Amino acid sequence: MRVKVYAAGYCNFEHIDDDGFMSLPEGATLNDVLGNLGIPRLFRRALFTAVNYQQAKPATPLKDGDIVSLLGAMSGG
Amino acid sequence: MKGYLGKILKVDLTTGEIEEEAIPDNVYENVLSGIGLGAWYLYNQIPADADPLGPDNILGFTSGLLVGSGSLITGRWMAVCKSPLTGGWGDANCGGDFAPGIKACGYDAIFFRGISPTPVFLQVDKDGAVLRDATELWGTDAIETEDILRKECAVGGTPRVVTIGPAGEKKSLISGIVNDGGRIAARSGVGAVMGSKQLKAVVLSGNQRTKIADPKSMKAYSKEFGAKVKQANAPGFLKGYIFPILGNLTSKVKSVSATDGMMSVMLNKSYGTIAVNTMGLPNGDSPVKNWGGSVKDFSFRKYRKLNPDRVLARKTKNYACYSCTIQCGDICDISDLTDGKIEHTHKPEYENCCALGTNLLINDLDEIFLMSEALNRAGMDSISAGSTLGFAFECFEKGLITEADTGGLKLVWGDAKAASRLLDMMINREGIGDILADGVKVASEKIGGNSALYANHCGGQEPGMHDPKLDPMLGVHFSADPTPGRHTIGAGLYYNMMNLWQEVSWAPKVTKYPKSEEYIPSDDEALKSVALACYKMLNDGAGGCFFALIAGLDHWNLFRMLNDTTGWGLTADEYMAIGRRIQTLRQLFSVKHGVEPKDAIMRGRVMGDPPLESGNLKGITLPIDEMVALHWKHFGWNEHTGLPEQEIVGELKERALVQ
Repeated sequence: MRVKVYAAGYCNFEHIDDDGFMSLPEGATLNDVLGNLGIPRLFRRALFTAVNYQQAKPATPLKDGDIVSLLGAMSGG
Repeated sequence: MKGYLGKILKVDLTTGEIEEEAIPDNVYENVLSGIGLGAWYLYNQIPADADPLGPDNILGFTSGLLVGSGSLITGRWMAVCKSPLTGGWGDANCGGDFAPGIKACGYDAIFFRGISPTPVFLQVDKDGAVLRDATELWGTDAIETEDILRKECAVGGTPRVVTIGPAGEKKSLISGIVNDGGRIAARSGVGAVMGSKQLKAVVLSGNQRTKIADPKSMKAYSKEFGAKVKQANAPGFLKGYIFPILGNLTSKVKSVSATDGMMSVMLNKSYGTIAVNTMGLPNGDSPVKNWGGSVKDFSFRKYRKLNPDRVLARKTKNYACYSCTIQCGDICDISDLTDGKIEHTHKPEYENCCALGTNLLINDLDEIFLMSEALNRAGMDSISAGSTLGFAFECFEKGLITEADTGGLKLVWGDAKAASRLLDMMINREGIGDILADGVKVASEKIGGNSALYANHCGGQEPGMHDPKLDPMLGVHFSADPTPGRHTIGAGLYYNMMNLWQEVSWAPKVTKYPKSEEYIPSDDEALKSVALACYKMLNDGAGGCFFALIAGLDHWNLFRMLNDTTGWGLTADEYMAIGRRIQTLRQLFSVKHGVEPKDAIMRGRVMGDPPLESGNLKGITLPIDEMVALHWKHFGWNEHTGLPEQEIVGELKERALVQ
């Protein structure tokens, strides 16, 4: 399956294609995405991550077409 | 004719004549409504030698093509005119509730020319349009004026009102136009133009609905976006104390990537713009000490008092502009600060907290609340006013002005009471406040010496409170936009949120790239800044909010909403061509009125000349001339002069937009 990943500058992009998608085996979880992004296991629960715009824990199962977002640089106003 | 009414109202304040004019479909098809309609009308109507504060200048209030269409977060109105601050194109953008009021009266825009012999306000309702005497309102602050007119002019419902305060009446070149209890179209000196015309207010009551091509599709899309916004909630741990940590983290990042714009929606829902109050210090985003300092001058021990949670402690209820589901605003209780004279105020924006706080080394939030409310009531731009205070403080520090000039006031960095007093003097044009009330450029010309070194402006306008040395594309837009100094046109960060490359064929795709690339002038970076400017012009023609725009195409797709509204079925590239036309019209307006675009290029310490000596941005100097040259080139404008090339002007002529 393929999930869209909005990573942050501190991530490893090796597993993300030019269109921003990551390929994963069926049954993969958010934890697998975070692992592919190079996020140390210790920090994964402390990181703000969302699946389909809802805050999600690392154990959250994923399905094809899901959107995973990580909190990155923010500004404005 | 879908999404627009095809009609404007013209008011000659000298003669008192009021008439309607039909606008050809061709205009909307080429430049939309809102800022596009305004640019087209003003370019063709205002003579080149018009005094910005004279009768030949035209002040327009325009609504957007998506306003009233059933779309979400499309409630912005624009004030447009020849700017007395820059001498070129002037516009200011505001939320509140006025935009739908214009269309509900059956017009896409209302334009005023001439000068009334006595103060007046325009009232439009079911009985038509009439100019009414405003002599007794002259001198009344903007919020009180609005309260009075909402009651006095209520006809089967609460009317929508825009008004100027004392700053506009006194023709302060940094004054704006106020709506909905303190929301302000602040930039370009639009308030001074309104004051010069002796036009105190515009009061609208109407019930005309805007027809659109595909209401079913629009309803479904709005429902989908509304659900996403509802779901986008900040996690429990995201409290005010986290933001300095986030700022620290972002200061260390060496790479940037495409990001999910809904994350910004989440932050804006929780905090609004004030999330940046403390995030912007560690990474250098927030200018410190009139752009000459850094976090070293305003350390965590000091700036932590600007914690957004401390601002929200005064919150009594949410505030939303028309059609907005993000609701980044709040209403705050300040009755304890005013002995009960003023009960509530709009939550100060980040720009206020920075311009009146960080920029002056002030961390007294109570005084920032009071100064913000004073600016809302006076109708004065907080960015320009705070910047001018910073300029005055630095001139005092350097001995260019003394206590003899300030009436005994000691302007010492961090002294909130002194800042507040000087602000009052500016609002009332009292003493040295008279010199400062027109912004830093005019003030530095009057003070003389080497004060120009401390007058941070581009083309006459003070820049927004975000440091381009952190995000260089911001510096390009400060310098190259026909309304220079604007922080809401574009930045690298915003580009990475918007995902324009998904639909715009020529917009460079982003996955991940080294942050250092943003500091090197390149065709790719220029194409990004051009894309942002074009998309922003579309947004301002549509009446959309910038905070929806940065949610990105995945969530808030302007192209789709425009097609649902108009039925035109245009591609993203065709819409971007419309954005380019609007931007070119604005540039041509400035050129027609004698502005040399290269003179508006931001220089001096804001661009790192000289560079900062401490903080995250120390040692950085931006190659701004090369960056702007490439931006102009990719716009189809001359890369050396910024003048639109004959080919692009010829296209506007072929489309009968200019003569």
